[in-house]
Amino acid sequence: MSDVTLPTKPADGGVDSLLELRGIEKRFTGTYALKGIDLDFAAGEIHAIAGENGAGKSTLIKLLTGAHAKSAGTMRWRGVEVEFKAPADALALGINAVHQEVVACPHLNVAANLFLGDETCRVGFLQKRVMIREGQRILDGLGFQIRADAMLGDLTIGQQQLVATARAAHRGTRFLIFDEPTGYLTRQETLQLFRLIRSLHDEGVTIVYISHRLEEIFELADRVSVLRDGRLVSTRRIADTSEAELIRDMVARSLDEMHYKREVPRGEVLVEIEGASGPGFEDVSMTVRRGEIVGLYGLVGAGRSEFVQCLFGRHRMTAGQVRWKGQKVMIRREADAIGRGIALVPESRRDQGLCLNLGVGFNLALPIYDRLSRGGLIDRRAERAAAARQMIDLRIVAAGQRVHAETLSGGNQQKIVVGKWLAHGAELFIFDEPTVGVDVGTKADIYHVFADLLTAGAGIILISSYLPEVYDLSDRLAVFRRGRVVAEHTHKAVGVETILTEAIGV
Amino acid sequence: MSDNVATAPLPAPKSRGLRLNFLLNLTLLGLLLLLCGALALGTENFATINNLSNLLRQGSIWAIMAIGQTFVIITAGIDLSAGAVVGVASTVVGLLMVHGVPVPLAVLATIGVGMAIGWCHGFGIVRMGLPPFIMTLASLTALRGIGLLLTGGQTLSGFPAEFGAFARGELLGIPNLFVAVIAVAVPCHLVLHHTRWGRYLYAVGSNREAARLSGVSINRVIYLAYIVSAGLSALAGVLTASRIGVGVATTGDGWELQAIASSVIGGASLFGAVGSVPGPLLGAMLLTTINNGANLLNINPFWQRIITGGLIVLIVYLDQLRRPKR
Repeated sequence: MSDVTLPTKPADGGVDSLLELRGIEKRFTGTYALKGIDLDFAAGEIHAIAGENGAGKSTLIKLLTGAHAKSAGTMRWRGVEVEFKAPADALALGINAVHQEVVACPHLNVAANLFLGDETCRVGFLQKRVMIREGQRILDGLGFQIRADAMLGDLTIGQQQLVATARAAHRGTRFLIFDEPTGYLTRQETLQLFRLIRSLHDEGVTIVYISHRLEEIFELADRVSVLRDGRLVSTRRIADTSEAELIRDMVARSLDEMHYKREVPRGEVLVEIEGASGPGFEDVSMTVRRGEIVGLYGLVGAGRSEFVQCLFGRHRMTAGQVRWKGQKVMIRREADAIGRGIALVPESRRDQGLCLNLGVGFNLALPIYDRLSRGGLIDRRAERAAAARQMIDLRIVAAGQRVHAETLSGGNQQKIVVGKWLAHGAELFIFDEPTVGVDVGTKADIYHVFADLLTAGAGIILISSYLPEVYDLSDRLAVFRRGRVVAEHTHKAVGVETILTEAIGV
Repeated sequence: MSDNVATAPLPAPKSRGLRLNFLLNLTLLGLLLLLCGALALGTENFATINNLSNLLRQGSIWAIMAIGQTFVIITAGIDLSAGAVVGVASTVVGLLMVHGVPVPLAVLATIGVGMAIGWCHGFGIVRMGLPPFIMTLASLTALRGIGLLLTGGQTLSGFPAEFGAFARGELLGIPNLFVAVIAVAVPCHLVLHHTRWGRYLYAVGSNREAARLSGVSINRVIYLAYIVSAGLSALAGVLTASRIGVGVATTGDGWELQAIASSVIGGASLFGAVGSVPGPLLGAMLLTTINNGANLLNINPFWQRIITGGLIVLIVYLDQLRRPKR
């Protein structure tokens, strides 16, 4: 770490610091989550914070918003020392955060969420119509196409994120923290969000922007600070740095194979889908061979996820047929798909992929307990051996098999979801947004997992809203729009712009 | 990049979850022994053979119900009908015997009725999508009515002698009822920790969706949990009838709460995926001892309920303190 020496203060020294951190430390039961953080947030700047998972970004946010108390160090707000004991202390100064996971009430309408805790009342009665009108004015002013009287829960996650942002912005916040805000947003929603961030910036709001999408950092930020292992590695002006330099700071190793791809000979056809229709998609045909990645790209709601859900037996196909290794099959239930060797690695690891409060070994062995049982009883040794093999093969970092899955980093959790299917012997892997919310280092790990799967003779269907990813990794890329496949390209046959145009349909 | 990532997992340390569970059982056991010691010193009648075997008998019946309840709680469900099943079972077994059905057949048929009730709970929860709380609450109400209809509100008596003899009998000096607990606890422990169905119970309680996507048949797991719970409650009903020698439809009023409390005191989490067999066993014994002690100390029975309520809060709170915060 000592090989990187960089100024932590703006070079000119003349910038007004809104918030100064000096020697900030945070310990959790003896281990340091943050150590010796000296950081200045200049008034009115967009300050990006980058770092791998576990680098201390979220801990830093929690200290800034008063969710945690610091263990040592001082914080100065406009030169005056402050102490945040509770979130209310930070809110009182105008410090607010928009979190990656939306924290709101899905059963209330958008306006009610916008004004939650700050309702318009007359003699104790809610002025619902006034709030909806006012809320609509705010949303329209921001250019969001969202109705203020819609139930929040009926909106897409991306739209909910925009509502949360509007809420924070409306509160007249002076210091706004965005924690990985674009993870679930479509491209249009991302652009709307960026417009909002820029307009807040123009109004003089100081913005802290946390993301591992480096191109977003370069698009938005004035300065960027990199955290690694709980320490501040560097603070640089965005104009004076490059993606490669930041990645080096973040991982302390060169990642020349960011989108790692290994050429593997194509094998036999694993699955062949012809003219499939179902809820949300129509007339989709597709072939996946061993050793190849078929990418599915499209905007959210274009039918990609609906299609793979049918392939996995979640819903019934209404038309078309599926051939598995040349034989016509009917997939009516998940069990049919799993039995053939089709695995779905779902979009939300936490909600759909893992039993979080159970052990790593348990999660890895879950699909194969029928095989691990002898005479009705589980062979504990075989169970441990099966899990241990996946932990070694996939380089899952955990202090043991009994450690709960929730304590692992996002990347390691993703590896568990893959590992349990490897143990099961799946041959076709469907990855639904596998790299949402994981950092660069872990992303590279996941790409290596793809390569290992292909080498082992598996086929992969990859769904991603992140175009550079599907573009670089896919051997073939199917573009979805409004439930249909509108184009199919072989590896990098056309440019990214073409694909985006096809997906949007302009 | 492999140099950057630990290549092999560290040797597995004893899990925190297991250790906590073990510790909790130790504390519970300690608390139980402490209470027994205090009562033995403080009252004349506690440490008599008569009282102790009486205590074991009552505790046994709650323990059996609590073990069944734990199966359901592990799946993040709840079985409010347990006490009502006890009432129905004690009337059904009584009616069968009064009408001349041989005792073993009557007992098996009653447990079968209990399992059928459990199946209905599973059906309501899985097929009709009712929340477990509502399904078993409705069942609790209806079953009480069925029990009263079956007997016309009368008390059934005049059971064969061998039926009553079971609950009073002993095996090698241990009350038969406690032997029944062991006969229930051992297979239940095996199912929970050494079979895939046990694993699936935890998986469903931890994350239904993940379990389903892993190929676990969630429906069957839920049926299993409720059938075990209601089946064991029916067994508890049979044992109660044997113990008190009469069949009354209102038997077991409020016992579902004793069962839930025993399970939770024994470390089970109502959020699912946490629970064991020894836990509810000790929990049930602790609750019984408290009741017994309060009786011996001549504490107003109204106060007993208040004390029990307070203790449940205290014990579960202490357990919360011990768990690492997220």
